[in-house]
Amino acid sequence: MTSQETLSWVISQFNDTSEVIQKHLNYGNKQATLLFIKTLIDQELYQKYIINPFFELPSQEQYHLYLTMLPQFQEVPSKEKALQFLLEGNVLVAIQEKLYSIDFKLSKNSDVNSTSVETTIHGSELALSDNLMTNINIIRSSYHQPSLTIEYYLKGEVNRPKVALVYDQKKVRKKALQMIKEKLDRIDKQVITEAYEFNNFLNDKRFSLFPQMILTERPDRVVYNLAGGKVVLLVDGSPQCMMAPAVFFDFLTTMEDDYHTLLISYYLKLLRYLGIFLCILLPGIYIGAASFSPEVFRTELMLTIAGSRMGVPFTSFVEVLFMLFFMELLLEASIRLPKAISATAATVGGLILGTAVTEAALASNIMVIIISAVAISTFVIPVNEMAFAIRIVRFLLILTTSIFGLAGLTLGLLCIIMYLVNLSSFGEPFLRLYNYRKGDKNSEGQA
Amino acid sequence: MPTKQKGKTRFFVLIALSFLLFLSGCGEFKDIDKMVFVSMIGIDKSDNPKKPYKIILKLYVPTSSFRQNPTPQYSYLIKDGETLAETIAILEAHLDKELDFGHSKLIVLGEKMMEDEKNKEILDFLIRRPDIQMISYVAMGRPNAEEIVKFVPNGETSLQPTLFNYFGNTGAESSFIITTHLFDFRRTMNEYGIDPILPIVEINEPGSHFIIDKSIILAKDRIPYELDAEKTLFVKILADSAKSVFFTVEREGEHFVTRLDNIKPKYRVERDGNQVTIRIKIKLTGIITESRNTLDNRKLPEYNRMLEQEMKEKLNALIDEMKMKGYDPFGFGLRLQSHTLPKDRMTDQEWRTAFKNAKVEVVVKSNLKSTGSIQ
Repeated sequence: MTSQETLSWVISQFNDTSEVIQKHLNYGNKQATLLFIKTLIDQELYQKYIINPFFELPSQEQYHLYLTMLPQFQEVPSKEKALQFLLEGNVLVAIQEKLYSIDFKLSKNSDVNSTSVETTIHGSELALSDNLMTNINIIRSSYHQPSLTIEYYLKGEVNRPKVALVYDQKKVRKKALQMIKEKLDRIDKQVITEAYEFNNFLNDKRFSLFPQMILTERPDRVVYNLAGGKVVLLVDGSPQCMMAPAVFFDFLTTMEDDYHTLLISYYLKLLRYLGIFLCILLPGIYIGAASFSPEVFRTELMLTIAGSRMGVPFTSFVEVLFMLFFMELLLEASIRLPKAISATAATVGGLILGTAVTEAALASNIMVIIISAVAISTFVIPVNEMAFAIRIVRFLLILTTSIFGLAGLTLGLLCIIMYLVNLSSFGEPFLRLYNYRKGDKNSEGQA
Repeated sequence: MPTKQKGKTRFFVLIALSFLLFLSGCGEFKDIDKMVFVSMIGIDKSDNPKKPYKIILKLYVPTSSFRQNPTPQYSYLIKDGETLAETIAILEAHLDKELDFGHSKLIVLGEKMMEDEKNKEILDFLIRRPDIQMISYVAMGRPNAEEIVKFVPNGETSLQPTLFNYFGNTGAESSFIITTHLFDFRRTMNEYGIDPILPIVEINEPGSHFIIDKSIILAKDRIPYELDAEKTLFVKILADSAKSVFFTVEREGEHFVTRLDNIKPKYRVERDGNQVTIRIKIKLTGIITESRNTLDNRKLPEYNRMLEQEMKEKLNALIDEMKMKGYDPFGFGLRLQSHTLPKDRMTDQEWRTAFKNAKVEVVVKSNLKSTGSIQ
């Protein structure tokens, strides 16, 4: 197939041809045909690097040579490829029966975002951007190893975004990489817009509670995990990336842990682990102690609870569910609301509702304290995806406690631990307590 | 047929889960505001010979806020009955809520009850009832349990009965207060070679607060024997549970008070045929806190000697008294039994006679650090 035929085939693929522009350059002994989508390319670059040299350079050969020297230059192997290049913002150049593609993609989303999900006091405030190439650029420029490998895939039948698989060839865990590649091949989805979707796409189980991959927007976390042997998945247009394999304790680590002195970072970690236990167990303990075994706590505390529950029309677990429900609503609402209103929502929900509920004796004072403590300790979990899972776990424990008391709470917690032990993330045991290969150079994702 | 298999599994899980709904689980679901908590249990002897037990239950009245209601409020349930369990069952019918003994911290036995030798029966009930905590304190009430249980001393705040603070070193750390837990009371009751000892709780004359400085020994088949404050102190010293003791020395023209902060008693019981020797070695460390005469620091060895002699005399006197009467709150008999092979052990009767004729050797080593005055 000649280059002209290819071009006409490509044009025939488009129904609406007003966006696709074909230009024939013909001046003196020089000839070239250009094909591009007007809205996808950077017109300044096009003007500067294609049009101007065409008129300045004396011969066809020189112009041809000039084009091959451009860093954006690519050969076009097939007509399908030509169509793809065109859709990605390249300019197709047919010259001397040869077809070339020159990447002049115009992207307006390449600005680096500032961190909004994983904010820290210390460390960089910059996050990844929405543009895949910018993200690769960020990663490459802070991870200087020749073994850093980037593989591109096109996934999603309809919108076909570019997906990049980034890993360090020397450090990556081969088994996990193999599994991820296999699962990537099996993906059969129409539309893929966010990196986070791969958490479900690469998961064979339909009902899974805990995330198998860790989501991040922080380049420092990406670099840290690359060095730890994880595989990073980036999707064009998504400001977040996924990393796998992830173990439970990855989700309770912030990047700041490494920026503090040892004792401070231990203290913060302790605080975080206490927080996670508190937010899982506290509602259950309240139900178990208040309705099954009141002898567990100190007399004064028990009597205060008994006193504050006077006049409350619900039994303890309905009371807990009632308050938790409103807390969850408040959480959901404050995510959906515009930033300007969400502060008001928090005030109305948290302060006014809390006071009014106790005034109206719909819940006890102690209950309001417990719910606030639970809410605060949920926010301590540094990775948001884990916080969502924990919120569900809490309800399961409330269920077992309402039926079986404190024994049920213990049993429920054991069941959850057993479930976690049973899980694995791409061949890595999910509840791996310590990094047993730490001495090894190929040490795996300890982050 | 994998799908059929899956369907069967699902069906089985559903059935299993629905069976769970019929289980009551561990304990029943009872909201905390539908329970009433017992603070103290008093057991007295009633005047009615057919219904010998009089049970007094002190119940907490819950308050929603401590600040709104700082004065203590209690309600009482009193009932005579033939047996303890039956009486409490009847009392439960008098309430709209479930009676919970989980937070009762003290069991007061009336003085008359003690003389009646009903301790075994009472203990049996207290041990069997699951919600009565084994770590409850046991004490004797004088003149009876009812007055002690009903008495609310000045300055008591709600939810925190003052009486509990006397026991177990949470509040007071007095060396005159014996603390006996229910589990310990039962153990010493059943054990040979040791006699249970209970504190005596009294109310002072104008009726403003409790006095607990005496104790009572309950031997199995003998009448209870009361110890006054000083003897109680020595029992505590020998049991290594005294924290800080003020001890007066009055001899050779000197009269001073020592504060002994560190008391380390050790004792061995040795047996040679039927002759038992009790060797007690006790180390004292402290300072002199008060004196009639001016004391000289250089004479500290003298004072030490006086303290040793005084302590030795007092201890000897107490142990001799116990020996004569045949009471053994220290557990000398138990100590001997625990250190002898089963085939060599004495019977209870043999031990009693041996204890009566036992030789007692007390060695006191004191170490007074200073005369307490600045020179």
